[in-house]
Amino acid sequence: MAKEILQLTVNGQPREDAVAGNLLLIDYLREVVGLTGTKMGCDGGECGACTVLVDGRPRLSCLTLAASSAGRQVETIEGCARGGRMSHLQQAFHEKLGSQCGYCTPGMIMAAEGLVRRTPAPTQAQIRQALGGNICRCTGYVKIIESVEAAAAESAA
Amino acid sequence: MSGRPPPEAPARKKMIGERVPLIDGIEKVTGRANYTADFLTAGALVGRIYRSPHSHARIIRIDVEAARKLPGVVAVITGADCDKTFGILPIAQNEFPLARERVRYRGEPVAAVAARDEASAEAALRLIRMEVEGLPAYYEPAKARVLGAVDLHGDRPGNLERDVHNEFGDLAAGFAAADLVREDSFDCAEVTHVHMEPHAALAEYDAERDRITLHSVSQVPYYVHLMVAQCLGMDTARVRVIKPFIGGGFGARTETLNFEIIACLMARAAGGRVRFKLSREETFLTHRGRPRTQIKLKLGMARDGRLTACACEVVQAGGAYGGYGIVTILYAGALLNGLYDIPAVRYDGYRVYTNTPPCGAMRGHGTVDVRHAFECLLDVMAAELGVDAMALRRRNLLSAPTKTINDLMITSYGLPQCLDWAEQASGWRARKAGLPPGKGLGMACSHYVSGAAKPVHWTGEPHAVVNLKLDFDGGITILTGAADIGQGSSTILAQAVGEVLGIDLTRLSVVANDSRITPKDNGSYSSRVTFMVGNAAIQAAERLKDLLVAAAAKKLDAKPGDIECLGEMYRVAGGQDPGVSLNEVIKEALIDSGTITVKGTFTVPREFQGGKFRGAAVGSSMAYSYAACVAEVSVDADTGTVRVDKVWVAHDCGFALNPLSVEGQVQGAVWMGLGQALSEETCYHAGLPVGANMLDYRVPSIVESPDIEVKIVESMDPNGPFGAKEASEGALSSVIPAIANAVHAAVGARLTRTPMTPDRVLDALVKARRAAASGGLKRSA
Amino acid sequence: MEYMPEFTVARPSSLAELVAARRANPGAHLLAGGTDLVANIRRGIVAPEHLIELTHVAELQGIAETSSGGLRIGAGVTLAALIEDERVEATFPVVVEAAHAVAAASHREVATLGGNLCLDTRCVYYNQSEWWRAANDYCLKHRGKICHVAPKGDHCFAAFSGDLAPALMVLGATVEIASADGKTRRCALPDIYTDDGLAHLRLTADDCLLAIDLTPPEPGLRTGYAKARVRGAIDFPLAGVAVALRRCGADLAELRVALTGTNSCPLLIEGTRDLVGAPLDADTLERLVGLLPKQIQPMSSTFTPPGYRRKVIANLTRTLTSRMFDEAA
Ligand SMILES: Cc1cc2nc3c(=O)[nH]c(=O)nc-3n(C[C@H](O)[C@H](O)[C@H](O)COP(=O)(O)OP(=O)(O)OC[C@H]3O[C@@H](n4cnc5c(N)ncnc54)[C@H](O)[C@@H]3O)c2cc1C
Ligand code: FES
Ligand code: FES
Repeated sequence: MAKEILQLTVNGQPREDAVAGNLLLIDYLREVVGLTGTKMGCDGGECGACTVLVDGRPRLSCLTLAASSAGRQVETIEGCARGGRMSHLQQAFHEKLGSQCGYCTPGMIMAAEGLVRRTPAPTQAQIRQALGGNICRCTGYVKIIESVEAAAAESAA
Repeated sequence: MSGRPPPEAPARKKMIGERVPLIDGIEKVTGRANYTADFLTAGALVGRIYRSPHSHARIIRIDVEAARKLPGVVAVITGADCDKTFGILPIAQNEFPLARERVRYRGEPVAAVAARDEASAEAALRLIRMEVEGLPAYYEPAKARVLGAVDLHGDRPGNLERDVHNEFGDLAAGFAAADLVREDSFDCAEVTHVHMEPHAALAEYDAERDRITLHSVSQVPYYVHLMVAQCLGMDTARVRVIKPFIGGGFGARTETLNFEIIACLMARAAGGRVRFKLSREETFLTHRGRPRTQIKLKLGMARDGRLTACACEVVQAGGAYGGYGIVTILYAGALLNGLYDIPAVRYDGYRVYTNTPPCGAMRGHGTVDVRHAFECLLDVMAAELGVDAMALRRRNLLSAPTKTINDLMITSYGLPQCLDWAEQASGWRARKAGLPPGKGLGMACSHYVSGAAKPVHWTGEPHAVVNLKLDFDGGITILTGAADIGQGSSTILAQAVGEVLGIDLTRLSVVANDSRITPKDNGSYSSRVTFMVGNAAIQAAERLKDLLVAAAAKKLDAKPGDIECLGEMYRVAGGQDPGVSLNEVIKEALIDSGTITVKGTFTVPREFQGGKFRGAAVGSSMAYSYAACVAEVSVDADTGTVRVDKVWVAHDCGFALNPLSVEGQVQGAVWMGLGQALSEETCYHAGLPVGANMLDYRVPSIVESPDIEVKIVESMDPNGPFGAKEASEGALSSVIPAIANAVHAAVGARLTRTPMTPDRVLDALVKARRAAASGGLKRSA
Repeated sequence: MEYMPEFTVARPSSLAELVAARRANPGAHLLAGGTDLVANIRRGIVAPEHLIELTHVAELQGIAETSSGGLRIGAGVTLAALIEDERVEATFPVVVEAAHAVAAASHREVATLGGNLCLDTRCVYYNQSEWWRAANDYCLKHRGKICHVAPKGDHCFAAFSGDLAPALMVLGATVEIASADGKTRRCALPDIYTDDGLAHLRLTADDCLLAIDLTPPEPGLRTGYAKARVRGAIDFPLAGVAVALRRCGADLAELRVALTGTNSCPLLIEGTRDLVGAPLDADTLERLVGLLPKQIQPMSSTFTPPGYRRKVIANLTRTLTSRMFDEAA
């Protein structure tokens, strides 16, 4: 199948790759760029495991064509830690056990990241709304909410 | 045996009882954790499975020639490529990795292809043709058991995989002594695990050496190892099984799964490396979830609420193959006991083959639906007797240590404390009667084993082995075959070892699950890891400590008995000397010996392995966890939607080695029960699962999931590692009846089916209103 | 990598380019947020050779105030943008309420108003994988000969399950449509639908929804949306009802009710005009609810039984209408 050049930024790094028009963003990130932190959890749009940020807003990478992100800033879980320091959300998910098996975690953290960038001190209701499409089968969500709250408080401090 | 109280060591690092984050947590939150599908395997072939479109049929021909000839296709295999069965119980291995002669459920693997790319694999699947002669298919146990029904398996007439009939105590006398006898029927839908990571396997065949390496998502890599060897006809020494990070299991992965063997067969056929990534739908089809369970329960009670007798009949629709079925139907009966003191119990269980995906073990294996029925009926009877639900439970408590009528050994029992907390925290007494219409409080209790006392394969080996390696670098590596599937078992083992040696995690690392490196472990099921592997880890650490103490003694020119271990420092007890650092002690210890490896083991003593009757091993355990739960619900009278506003749950886990982890496990378990209570259900249309996706199979979302407040009760089990027992299954089964009882309290409708979906609740509401209007009893929907 | 059929994608940035792209690729499917279309492509129920992505078409974007004081909402406006827009919230809160009920927050970041209104109909026998549908002999809506919901007939009963259509209908929304030649036309929102699961849109293959026009609400208009669902997120409506009403003293002065999830298209309930001019007492409410059975037709297209959807739509209509009436006082 014919490929076209896709230019975009992934975790701050400009990239240029030849991709097929039907390539999904999740497959581009995992198989072309090699960033396997973004997970596939369902057959399309039903679980949130694949959430990344596009221009700072949450996006389900399994329902997005890679080429639709041309010229945009894509951020994945691998881009959250800077210089060996985890983001407040990563730190909180680790310390508060917001992550058990860890499979939903990258998507969960990216959706939460999208939230706190716009709403630095979210209420519990806002957290629940923002993470509504992210299924976690391990935690029962209680410690996920605590983690997001803790991270927001830490960022405010 | 090594049950010991938590030591109080002042200067040493305290590692247990602390809220320690997961030892592999950083990998998970940074995206560095590699799950099976994450291995970037340039050049790996794409494996796909062709699945039966038929529910029940004799295979006449499978034509794969066109697929084989397709450019890009490297290999195609069918049932002809493997004539060995697999399964979990040695007596019930009746499943072929790829169907032979017959298919028994829609979705059963029939053939597999390996191709150079996804498009070729997909195209090849579409070229496979299957010619069959249809057979009658049964989706309901009652239909499968009808006289003259075609048997799914020749050796199981009447499609009865196993029937169990046990009676303990004097049942007739028990019912005769009762002042109130009530009987009701319950119907609990089939549910499935929906671990967030879809199934995946990566198999690599080394043709030159005739060896196979499998990366897979298993909770039981040891059993997978055996089955791969068996089905490939290879010596076990040629097989290597590696478990990478795993995105949950909940029981789905406690037996070898067909795709794991198919991946290995395919790697050998293709002569290389093959990757299988199953879709979510295929993950649903692989199933092994909790079977649909129909329960008839009869309880006898004295006027004061004391139970006098229990008779329970259970029918499970097990799906098309054996799997864990026998164990499941035995569990359902065995754990009628062990929670309350019941003088007489009769149990009749029927495990039936049906033409649906095979059921298996799921969190709370075998016990959940029966506990639901039991706790609901208790609620009904309490109301009739005018006894408060909490008080009713208190009248029926056991007193540990004790042995139940079916020979379960109860050594610690924190249920009374669980009840006290749940009652207080929820404001039970004050709030119960005063809630506005549409709101209600309900409660229930539950329990679970801390590891099956008898392993599935009885080999005479210890139940658990842990190795520790100490080398020149001063690092201590814990080698274990116990599969961390997200429940945090690696962390618990590191904490246990750290506690004994008085050191923190910086010196410790865990290597888990590579059959070439780590000792065999039976796997992560029946909540056995903390208890059994934990005890083995303690023993290993103690042995290592003995060596270090001896080295320190040598260094300090003292007697070992006089040496005090302060973790990073060893010194003569009571002396003025500052002592020597652990690094120096290690150097001393390595002189002459070199790299040190020590081993700890754990074996469940015979007296805990169950009674002498047939099937007695199932349900036996060295310790039982206990839980009491209160749920507060709101019922929307327009839509029938039940909203759980809050859950309070107290769980007796013996001792919380890691309270953070225990809370997380209990919350996860309770929440999973909540899904089963309200929204989760696998539905079939002529054997086709209509909701094999995450839209229609409704795992609760964060939006409506309630706060779950956890109280850890510590009964200090005499045999548990530092007093610990299981913490991740026991609480699950209490929340479902707690919600059902709360719904009744809220709107006067009693639902006997789960899940309590809006349509069922609305129907029940209408019936309850009608019954109330006609002045009748508000009973059963 | 996941299996996706091959297709080309055009990315026009203006209506003129869109028209050209359509001419160049007849039969192309329009791709907006893709939360419905891409999911369906992955299931194999849509296999387009060409896609035209609407994201960059300027004419589909933006929310603008109209000369009459209403709003023109571009079909390409995302539900997130709709929810965040203060003018929409202030003037047409029911639109925000309904938008909030769609899928989950991450879907709403890309899901568009146009995509929501043109959402494909849904059915348990249709929204399944290729393997599943093949094993079930396909169905009337895709490759097959019978409708498994009503095997004797030749009608498809897949249900329309968009949340926004009923909310817009009770506000009397009109839509702007661009046809293949770039000409635009207007019609009332209900007119783009027909009750046929196979082809529920009256749009031609070349039509593109450009915008939704809302005239300013009559003073005192009360609106609300109620959705029957199991979970708090990622659940299509089992049934949904939107109500708009006005009161004149003790009397009902105006009443519009629209439904989703019951038929193959959203429905503006007929006959509500007969109920105005009197107080909304129990009798009037029952007359209102009495209008529903003849107009709705929930079928076994969801696993939740149709009987439930009938009951729940009646209950929600009753409760929501009387609540709006009380609030309007
Ligand atoms: C898990 C999940 C849950 C969901 N839950 C809900 C829900 O609760 N309620 C709900 O309403 N929806 C729900 N949806 C469906 C969908 O997300 C929304 O309806 C969304 O608004 C569709 O918009 P879109 O832009 O993504 O549409 P697309 O997928 O891009 O398009 C949908 C259809 O509309 C056509 N189309 C798009 N724009 C135009 C246009 N301007 N003119 C003509 N045709 C056009 C497309 O060709 C396509 O056929 C859900 C989806 C998922 C995956
Ligand atoms: S992978 Fe499940 S929503 Fe994207
Ligand atoms: S931590 Fe396992 S799915 Fe969320």
